[in-house]
Amino acid sequence: MTVPAPREGDQGAALSLRGLVKRFDTKLAVSEVSLEVPAGSFYGLLGPNGAGKTTTLSMAVGLLRPDAGHAVLLGHDVWADPAAAKARLGVLPDGVRLFDRLTGPELLAYHGLLRGMDAATVDQRARELLDVLELGTGNCTLVVDYSAGMRKKIGLACALLHAPRLLVLDEPFEAVDPVSAARIREILQRYVSGGGTVIFSSHVMEVVERLCSHVAILSDGVLRRHGTLDEVRDGSSLEEVFVRVVGGRVSTGSELAWL
Amino acid sequence: MALSPWPFVRLKLRLMVNGMRGRPARIVLFVLGAVMAGFFAISGYAIFAIPGVVGDARAAGMLLQLGGSLLVVGWLVLPLIFFGIDESLDPARFALFPLPRRTLITGMFAAALAGLPALSTLAATAGMVNTVAALGGAGAALIQVVGILGGLFLCVAASRAVTSAFATGLRSRRSRDLAVVMFAVLAALLGPLQLALLAGAERADWGAFAVLADVLGWTPLGAPYSLGLEVAEGRLWAVPLKLLIVLTTLAGLLRWWSATLESAMVGSVSESRGGDRDVASPTGLLLGRRLPRSRFGALVARETRYWWRETRRRAALITFTVAGIFLPVSISLSGGSAGPMAVFVGAIAAIALANQFGYEGNAYAANVTAAVPGRVEIHSRATAHAFFVLPLLLLVAVVVGAVTGRPERIAGDLGLLIATYGAGLGLVLPLSVRAAYALPESTSPFAVSSGGGAAKGLLTFGVMIGTLLATVPLQILAWTLGDVWLWIGLPAGAAFGCAAYLIGSGVAGDWLDRRMPEVLAAVTAGR
Repeated sequence: MTVPAPREGDQGAALSLRGLVKRFDTKLAVSEVSLEVPAGSFYGLLGPNGAGKTTTLSMAVGLLRPDAGHAVLLGHDVWADPAAAKARLGVLPDGVRLFDRLTGPELLAYHGLLRGMDAATVDQRARELLDVLELGTGNCTLVVDYSAGMRKKIGLACALLHAPRLLVLDEPFEAVDPVSAARIREILQRYVSGGGTVIFSSHVMEVVERLCSHVAILSDGVLRRHGTLDEVRDGSSLEEVFVRVVGGRVSTGSELAWL
Repeated sequence: MALSPWPFVRLKLRLMVNGMRGRPARIVLFVLGAVMAGFFAISGYAIFAIPGVVGDARAAGMLLQLGGSLLVVGWLVLPLIFFGIDESLDPARFALFPLPRRTLITGMFAAALAGLPALSTLAATAGMVNTVAALGGAGAALIQVVGILGGLFLCVAASRAVTSAFATGLRSRRSRDLAVVMFAVLAALLGPLQLALLAGAERADWGAFAVLADVLGWTPLGAPYSLGLEVAEGRLWAVPLKLLIVLTTLAGLLRWWSATLESAMVGSVSESRGGDRDVASPTGLLLGRRLPRSRFGALVARETRYWWRETRRRAALITFTVAGIFLPVSISLSGGSAGPMAVFVGAIAAIALANQFGYEGNAYAANVTAAVPGRVEIHSRATAHAFFVLPLLLLVAVVVGAVTGRPERIAGDLGLLIATYGAGLGLVLPLSVRAAYALPESTSPFAVSSGGGAAKGLLTFGVMIGTLLATVPLQILAWTLGDVWLWIGLPAGAAFGCAAYLIGSGVAGDWLDRRMPEVLAAVTAGR
């Protein structure tokens, strides 16, 4: 598939979050999150369930209006200049239904045309993506009848179709079988080496440790650690850091002694 | 292995009792069910006994055969709606037991008979024995006892066979969608059917009913219930023939049941339709030949597909079609004026879009991330809806014109319809942006979320009234102009509708530009 060539003016931060706050009723879901995602980085956003990962990413891509703060995508404010910002962005939202009464090829064509691409390019890229992700170029099954892993893959294909400069992926490896996961990893790595930027959320340490150049750890809506992978790890394993930061129980060896 | 069906009956009763243990809500439901079954049994008995009490043989013939047929149909249809209530009878649960199919069939048949529905049906039809005894004496009554037992067996066998056949079918999404649409049609037909029945009853054409009843008496639906009647009327030769009809049907149903049982027990993987075929052009697949290769074209194509492929929308379209045609027709048949009535149709059509963003839920996120301009979004949705509605409006105008015998009014009526549809859209589109609400993630079109959604749903009533008020000037104009309206009605109505639509869609588009994330949050279930 075509790897987008790096463009001028993309240097610096691909995504920059400044003091994002979101409150649901009385619960503070995200509190003052500020984060710089350097262009060309592979950024992992880690956090336990309910940490505010999805909320943060939704605010970053313009799906959820923040109570305070700014999100700047490649130099364009998402909330002040949404059209320009969103044109350079590909999103795989988690837990969001796709337009699942379309077939896979139809869904890709829809996304491509929605992005203002011309029909010939859409056709060519859509077929290539369907082929590479092993979804079948002529598969007439409705997306609603897809398996969970296939949904993730068609969602990813939709996010990649217009060759965005920044990919925001929410739990891209959840429910995906190992073979497809390897294929997705490979595609994403190629995308980053071609100058693209990826930020994705996960709570699987191994994947993050294997892929990412940068990591941020979020818990209870607060950004606990962020930086390059080595900075955050600081000599120990990412899992140890994560458990320590998030405040999980550390085994003392004395509990459950009767086992 | 013993061939006794008793273990099945005991198992079913045990499951019923255990299901209620420690669950007051279920006990209440069971008691309610028992009360309803009792009510059904008593009232059924009373109704079926009336012709005997008054000694009217003609009424007996109609009531027994029509009522009996209705019972059989009820047994056929109701289990499909409430499939899965009776746990012990789910054949899939017996898949692991080494049971001969014969044992399984007799056992499940016996278990099905040991239930409130079967008991109350038997009690209700016992009223027929009363009637036949009064009309034809003890011999006829005895035959009728055989008849109602045969009828009950027929009811149970039919419902079991049908549920078994649908058991695998109803588990796949596609057939559930289909069933939902069938019930939407049924539900939509209820109103017109009632009107038609009332109209028929007013004319009191009892002769037609009597003929219908006698015809049904020779079908499996009514045959068992007319056995005693034939004796009472001295047509003894008919008894063995009708008995044969009942027994053959019963045997056929049991055989069908037995054949489908296997597949129902094993269950089958739902096969995907179409399969793979090489598609050269995904955009061609989406857009077809006519639509422009653009953002607008893609939006319209997706919307039109959704009006057909999504159950809630399809049900809305079907309900509108049925109501839109039958309402004006039945009104004009009973002597009312069809014109103003047809105007309701335009308003009802527009209301289908009142919660247009709710239909697809948070899938709308795709359009938000693609930054689709508000006006493009609104125009595309209205265009797709109009694809379906405008031909229907034409159909309504033509049908009403033909039924009332005034074809010269078709153009003018169509003008009024389009004007109302446009005015309705003008009001509904801004509403759909401001008052979008989440629909539950269910496949049933009848599922409605509780709470805020219901209150917002009330707004649609406001829209209906608003639409009617907005088109009042046009109505008055049409009425006062008389014959002139026949000529200028269509262009004037179309112009009025377009103007109203343009104003409303402009407002809605501008609002949407400012409120896209809020609309998305509103239609996301569980927030």
